[in-house]
Amino acid sequence: MITIQREDVDIGRLVAEAKRAGTGAIVVFDGVVRDDNIQEIELEAYADVAVPELQAIAKEATKKFALLHVDIVHRIGRLAIGENILIIIVSAGHREEAYEGSRFIIEAIKKSVPIWKKELTKDGGRWVPGEHTHGSGKARKSRD
Amino acid sequence: MTAKVRFFARFRELLGSDIPAPVKTGTTLADLIGGIAKKNKEGYDAIFDENGRFREFVIVMRNGKRIEHADAEKTQVADGDEIAIFPPVAGG
Repeated sequence: MITIQREDVDIGRLVAEAKRAGTGAIVVFDGVVRDDNIQEIELEAYADVAVPELQAIAKEATKKFALLHVDIVHRIGRLAIGENILIIIVSAGHREEAYEGSRFIIEAIKKSVPIWKKELTKDGGRWVPGEHTHGSGKARKSRD
Repeated sequence: MTAKVRFFARFRELLGSDIPAPVKTGTTLADLIGGIAKKNKEGYDAIFDENGRFREFVIVMRNGKRIEHADAEKTQVADGDEIAIFPPVAGG
């Protein structure tokens, strides 16, 4: 499942469904809304571009780390403190590939997928600055 | 001909989103974006510098593909194009 959605997801079910013949390790990344003196967080995506990018990242990670299964669920909309923002499930034969594949996916998402978040506070709100600027709008290299 | 301009995140708050735009032949991507952005000074200044050039961090896409700033200043808009403008991404 590679998706951008408003609804939360049953992580336990995803873990159960990620088990494949040959699975020896499943790594779950669950990014949650942190209490940085905020009330809520609001996420926005350019879904027409973001979903294909997530699919490309999953495909590249699968190839690079011999993954057996990948789920990426990125939520949008208003989320309260403690709610899930991003769930990444990676299934692999061994822990090294599972950990490395999971790390690769989250870092790639932060670098290039068009999603933004705004922290909503009692005084208004502030957009979270991206960790990566893209120079003169330079395109990310193809992942295929 | 017409194109669609989509702003995201802070740019959307300042300039709106999913803006249909009539386009004259010969209009560049930068011309189109600048023309729309001029309706709100804060929005224009968020995207363009004092010389009317894209600010370094601004990302421009045409039909889902990123466009270099230099190319956006010389590439002409085609009928049906979807142009997206946004700040650095911050998902995850």
